Amino acid sequence: MIRVLRLIGVGVRTHVSYMSRSPIEITFAVLVPLVYATLAVYLFRAAGDPDRLLTASVGAGLMGIWGSVLFGSGGAVQNQRWLGTLETLVVAPTPLALVLLPITLATAVIGTYAMGATVLWGVLLFGVPLDFAHPLLFLVAVPVCVLALGMMGLLLAATFVLLRNANALANPLDTPVWLLSGLLVPVTVLPAWTHPVSWALPTTWGARAVHAATSGGDVITPLLTAAALGAGYALAAVLVLGRVERRARAAATLALA
Amino acid sequence: MFRFRCRSLGFRFHAFSRLLVVGGAISYRALFNWTTPPMFIGTLLVGPLLQVFFFVFLGRELGVADDRFHLVGNAVLAASASCVYGGTMAVANERRYGTLGAVLLSPRHRVPLWLGRALPYVLNGLFVSAFVLTAAALVLGLPVSAGALPGLGLVLLVAAGACSAFGLALGALGLRFRDVFLVSNVASSVLLLLTGAAVPRGTLPGWMRTAGDLLPLTHAADAARGLTAGGGLDGRLLGAELAVGAGWGLLAVVLLAAFERGSRRRATLDTM
Amino acid sequence: MLAIEADTLRRTYTSRTGWPRSRRTETEAVRGVTFEVKPGELFGLLGPNGAGKTTTIKMLNTLLLPTSGTARVFGHDVARDPVAVRRRIGYVFGGDRGLYDRLSALDNLRYFAELYGVAARDQKRRIAELLDLVGLVGREKERVEGYSRGMRQRLHIARGLLHHPDVLFLDEPSIGVDPVAARDLRRTVADLAAAGTTVLLTTHYMAEADELCDRIAVIAGGRIRALGTPGSLKSRVGDRDVLDIEAYGAGDEVIDRVRRVPGVRGASVEDRGAVQTVSVQTDRGAELHAPVLAAFDGVRLGRVVSREPSLEDAYIAIVEEAAGSAAPEGVPA
Repeated sequence: MIRVLRLIGVGVRTHVSYMSRSPIEITFAVLVPLVYATLAVYLFRAAGDPDRLLTASVGAGLMGIWGSVLFGSGGAVQNQRWLGTLETLVVAPTPLALVLLPITLATAVIGTYAMGATVLWGVLLFGVPLDFAHPLLFLVAVPVCVLALGMMGLLLAATFVLLRNANALANPLDTPVWLLSGLLVPVTVLPAWTHPVSWALPTTWGARAVHAATSGGDVITPLLTAAALGAGYALAAVLVLGRVERRARAAATLALA
Repeated sequence: MFRFRCRSLGFRFHAFSRLLVVGGAISYRALFNWTTPPMFIGTLLVGPLLQVFFFVFLGRELGVADDRFHLVGNAVLAASASCVYGGTMAVANERRYGTLGAVLLSPRHRVPLWLGRALPYVLNGLFVSAFVLTAAALVLGLPVSAGALPGLGLVLLVAAGACSAFGLALGALGLRFRDVFLVSNVASSVLLLLTGAAVPRGTLPGWMRTAGDLLPLTHAADAARGLTAGGGLDGRLLGAELAVGAGWGLLAVVLLAAFERGSRRRATLDTM
Repeated sequence: MLAIEADTLRRTYTSRTGWPRSRRTETEAVRGVTFEVKPGELFGLLGPNGAGKTTTIKMLNTLLLPTSGTARVFGHDVARDPVAVRRRIGYVFGGDRGLYDRLSALDNLRYFAELYGVAARDQKRRIAELLDLVGLVGREKERVEGYSRGMRQRLHIARGLLHHPDVLFLDEPSIGVDPVAARDLRRTVADLAAAGTTVLLTTHYMAEADELCDRIAVIAGGRIRALGTPGSLKSRVGDRDVLDIEAYGAGDEVIDRVRRVPGVRGASVEDRGAVQTVSVQTDRGAELHAPVLAAFDGVRLGRVVSREPSLEDAYIAIVEEAAGSAAPEGVPA
């Protein structure tokens, strides 16, 4: 157990420092969410909703975290393939799930830069007041949300091991998750058949908890739901990875050439 | 004597157009990352379509603007994925494959060489935005009269052209800087903000509106909105989009020439 | 117990081309390879590009499943029990990739030490030992992106050795490495083998294989064409003499003419700028100087040297023989 925790710790540290040194990752994590934040603030202002500017900033931050996890996890496998390290990772005696988990957690950690950046941007540029309904719970909700997203990323990464064109799946998954999980605003005008999909996404509950901590409401229930769903996704990912690795060895998709 | 010159001119025109068309087509296949069917469908068709839905539903929820505004705006913007990234990849991927040096050793004139590279992305962008507009209009039930279609086609073509010129200008930075995809990432989200695809430009501050006026797609989106609403083709908007495209195209050629000369001095070609 | 047992290993690659109607093409990269490696042995796999060397190594180190046939590493089946195999093997490949460029050598090693299950209390000592072994002490805190290819290669080896593997797979480790660095690398590999590590090495460099390997398998077209000690392989061409002839501008038709001289067993050309070295293998004691030189008819010649056959001559003879008999299809690496 201690060995596993240590492995995760070292893995997260390694990948966070690797990604932090890449201008591309930092752009995704900071600059692009700032554009989202600007967009969200003007949209909310145009909608005559100036009281909820903090919600707009936080929502843009969540969009940024998801973007980072999605491209980070989808890209995690692809990037290791490009670097030529995927084979050395697979040849390691550590189960593949424990190799990939730190990578997806690292992308989620990098994603939290987005939250910090968008909230700070809102305060500095638009004078958004920092009136969190539950400031302490917000500080709990964000990491739990990030963790849940990381687990979702792990499941994505698991399926992406098999696909050479993982990005083809990742690119269009951006906006539907924003929409379905109500990252910016809870979208009540969506057709009813989409609701079960929303409920099955940890992002929905994580976003609900984070928004409740920002503007008031029950934080604990959605927070626990997000954590539980995240654990479920992680379990599914472990099961999938067992099969996926064998198939990748049969289909020769680990190396680039 | 006269006949000879005539033939030579014909030969030169032929060589010019070969470099433009054949060279452009081959470089598209070599350098565009998204030509495989899953990538093309996922990144260029499904992704932008879902983005249309996101903003339409967000617009309905917040009551900022009607369906038409977001649908048409984002459909025109859909061309940017192909044009901005395509233009960047057309130059920057040469560096990734290590072929940039070989290309720059070519004795051919640079204008057809680089413009030929942008050409496939114009067609690609036109196809993408036409697809997204059609699919989104069908799904969300936005009526478009048949009479507006030729005008729309023209507007989308000009938009894709202007956006490809913009992409090529960004790509030119690839001759000078390593991480040019960083620029194209930021550029495409800036387009989302400033061209009025997501936020009505009237609500933005003055300097952002001015910046939007100078970017491709802004005027084309307005023209397309007018056409789908049953109005005629606004020649001034189309002219503005053409002028913006020409401006970026000129800038692209100037930047490419300047950076190519500078690269020999600074030895920035071989470094990854 | 044997270190490596490969029994009629086969591997087929399936690829799809064309769209929307895709066509499946199957390529047989390895077509029934059988060999055994004893513990502590240094075993070489030699062969031209695309012969199936890398595919064979990847089946043995669990990265690829064999299409048919079996392989065991210290008794553990590579297909059924990959984790047990992975605990006992190290894998090092040549080239620039496979490291985290933006991290230091130390960070790379720390991370892989964790993944390869090196106990926390041993890591520091083990990493220091390996940095010393591969001569990177003092540079370990620099980012790998600033390393030369030789330094990267040494870091690769350190990474592969972190967990004291019993078997080390080295896939073309000396590719693109300068001669001095390559010599250091050979010494490191020889020391490892002397200390009891089983090594399976693939390489293009004959001198390297001749110097290092206890036994060599020459693989071409997915099959083993010859297997034995470097000495026994050389003795396959031991009944021959070799004439090295410097020529300026000998075309294919000239070489064909040389090959047709009675008593000539084969000829190969190596271009070195303007000058070519044509190696002509003849029957021992046939004294074919005059007829061979006559076959060059008009081509300007330089030095002519007669010598004993080398491992390279043996290799070329084996591969040319295989090329003559094998089906003409291409096989990917």
